[in-house]
Amino acid sequence: MPHTGTARPIPRIMLSVLCFPVLLVLAAGCDSGNGHRIVFSVGGTPSALLVWEELIANFEAQSDWRVTILRQPADTGQQLQALLVALDSGQDDPDVFIMDVAWVGLFAAAGWLRPLGTIDTEPFFEQVVEQVDKYNGKLLALPVYMDAGLLYYRKDLLKKYGYAGPPRRYEELTAMAVAVQKGERRDNPGFYGFVWQGAQYEGLVVNFLEFAGRGGGMLHQRNGRDVLDMTVPENRRGLTWMRDLIREHGISPPSTYTAMREEEVRLWFQQGNALFERNWPYAYALHDAPGSPVRGNVGVAMLPGWETDEPGLPTLGGWHIGISAQSDAPDGAMAFLRYVVSRGPQKRLALRLGWNPGREDLYDDPELLEKYPHLPVLETALEHARSRPLLPFYIQLSEIAQQTLNAALAGNIAPGPALRDMQSQMAALLARYGRETLLPEGTKTAGERGQ
Amino acid sequence: MRAETIEKLSSLGFLGPLAFFIALFIVLPVTGTFVDSLFRDVVFLDRAFIGLENYRALFSHPGFWNAMRFTLLFVIVSVPLEILLGLAIALTLNETIPLRGMIRAVVLIPWAIPAAVSARVFELIYNYSYGAANYLVRVLGISREPVNWLGTDLGAFAAVVATDAWKTTPFVAIILMAGLASIPEILYAQARVDRAGFIRRFRSITIPLLWPVLIVAALFRTIHALRIFDVIYVLTGGGPGGATESVSLFAYRYFTTGDYGFGAAASVVLFIMALSLSVFYVRLGGFGKRRRE
Repeated sequence: MPHTGTARPIPRIMLSVLCFPVLLVLAAGCDSGNGHRIVFSVGGTPSALLVWEELIANFEAQSDWRVTILRQPADTGQQLQALLVALDSGQDDPDVFIMDVAWVGLFAAAGWLRPLGTIDTEPFFEQVVEQVDKYNGKLLALPVYMDAGLLYYRKDLLKKYGYAGPPRRYEELTAMAVAVQKGERRDNPGFYGFVWQGAQYEGLVVNFLEFAGRGGGMLHQRNGRDVLDMTVPENRRGLTWMRDLIREHGISPPSTYTAMREEEVRLWFQQGNALFERNWPYAYALHDAPGSPVRGNVGVAMLPGWETDEPGLPTLGGWHIGISAQSDAPDGAMAFLRYVVSRGPQKRLALRLGWNPGREDLYDDPELLEKYPHLPVLETALEHARSRPLLPFYIQLSEIAQQTLNAALAGNIAPGPALRDMQSQMAALLARYGRETLLPEGTKTAGERGQ
Repeated sequence: MRAETIEKLSSLGFLGPLAFFIALFIVLPVTGTFVDSLFRDVVFLDRAFIGLENYRALFSHPGFWNAMRFTLLFVIVSVPLEILLGLAIALTLNETIPLRGMIRAVVLIPWAIPAAVSARVFELIYNYSYGAANYLVRVLGISREPVNWLGTDLGAFAAVVATDAWKTTPFVAIILMAGLASIPEILYAQARVDRAGFIRRFRSITIPLLWPVLIVAALFRTIHALRIFDVIYVLTGGGPGGATESVSLFAYRYFTTGDYGFGAAASVVLFIMALSLSVFYVRLGGFGKRRRE
């Protein structure tokens, strides 16, 4: 009797406990799509998302389509992860999304991008569209926000030390930085000649590609095919120079390879503690904002080159928009994409968020020029900018590069051996992905060497 | 007879939900990860069964051995340090000292702070330009030049260990305090009658009776240290030059870039290590034998 009394309720509790996860799964699977709705994935700060919401309201006013924002974190790596999971698992949402320029190769190779068909690409930077947005001859994406590395300099200090203008060659930059730093240190012991991004993250690779210059980088044309070779002399010259900035000349802070990311670099320069700064275009407006100690004294120029009269080679950054190949509403996604890359929204993104337009035809817009006087320099930089390799495994290659470059800056390994080490790790990766065809002839992978 | 059968049946009923959740949240993911590690599972390539190829590539990857060396070194240094410090704190707070209750609560604060937050706090302490550590260096006149604390292999390693020890020593202390509280006071009283000194009492009473608790604390700390991720991700990002890259961080890099099979292989290796260490600790603690006493 007492047994039945206490034993009876148990199965019922158990049943509900057992059912709970099942219900959760059912509930999660219940957001069925409806006809005229598209999902747009975009990340950023709350203020950036506010601007996107305004744009969407505008779009909805002139269209039958309704747009749901899939908010992504501000962090780039986490945005990638969120998109990877959704797209790799074959979900039909998001329909349209914003992606970092460095991911386009991966997304294209994975077959996640729906060809955009016939869109007039004339208003966009031709060399950017050719480098990034076309894959196997098909247009898969369009630029929404453009970035390229720039050289910021202190106009007042160059004048004070008798220099006519910013350096055109890297050796000149070194000489100017050494001289000015020596002079400025008398009053400001924390002054450094040149600040740039050297911490172990993507920005380090971006800086390295710029400092390696023409002839340097990852992919090289040899006998009509692309070859991945990190050990070319230009890469070695670039890396040696970067290390020497910190260790030999002492014109870049010792914390360059531990702490220096975009914001750390910007703040260092903005507090008046540096002569030169390598950064993205976003820093300009902040340097020139009211309350900035360097306001009115900041100049901006193309990055230097290694040879006389050869412009520098900025790395291309920025965000591109594409449509998911799995989208259940490609027409709506297309309509929204066309809207986002049109003049009005592009200009609004530029005015409100400081996003450099993906369209070249906005770079002479009077209203934008008044607010962003550095746009002509940026336009030149974008015309010369080189994208990172459009390889599906670029991100993995970059992780390898980040670690070895950083070890060289830390002084743990000399530049030559660091680049050879990088090459052999990359060779092992390519072998695993069955892409040995990208390797220089006669390469042995790390595995074969028995390392 | 009948009552016993019912009891057995209802005990199965009680175990059922637990077994279900263990299957759902532990057995399933672990098995899934293991299965995935046998595949070439890369987002931009066709999925294909490749046997142990991921493991072969993993074991010939210098970055993996670098991460393994760091991780093991981290376990070997941080766990004993945390156990010793935790034991010292527990013994102190087990005595009747003034404000004991308050101090006990204060000691626990680091444990209550999320690891990412405490790592960020320590990053601010070590910061080259405006960190507290370099402020002290300057004020105390140790050096005119600021020190780049996270800039050397040893410095970054020490920084990671210090951050982790600060956060997790209280955890060890609280477990050991619970263990100390369960030792009957009368044993110490009797030992005093037998004129046993402090060291003798510690060696013959405290350590043997605290042993199982000590093992549990060491077990928790070891497994946690083996899969260290958050502190490193925030504090050093694995730098400088991969000097503080842990196996978890190594696996994470592949998981987040769409190379799931390879990341899974690294995770399986870590899982097997954690499992064998757990078995070792359980043996060391003699938990299996206690039932018979």
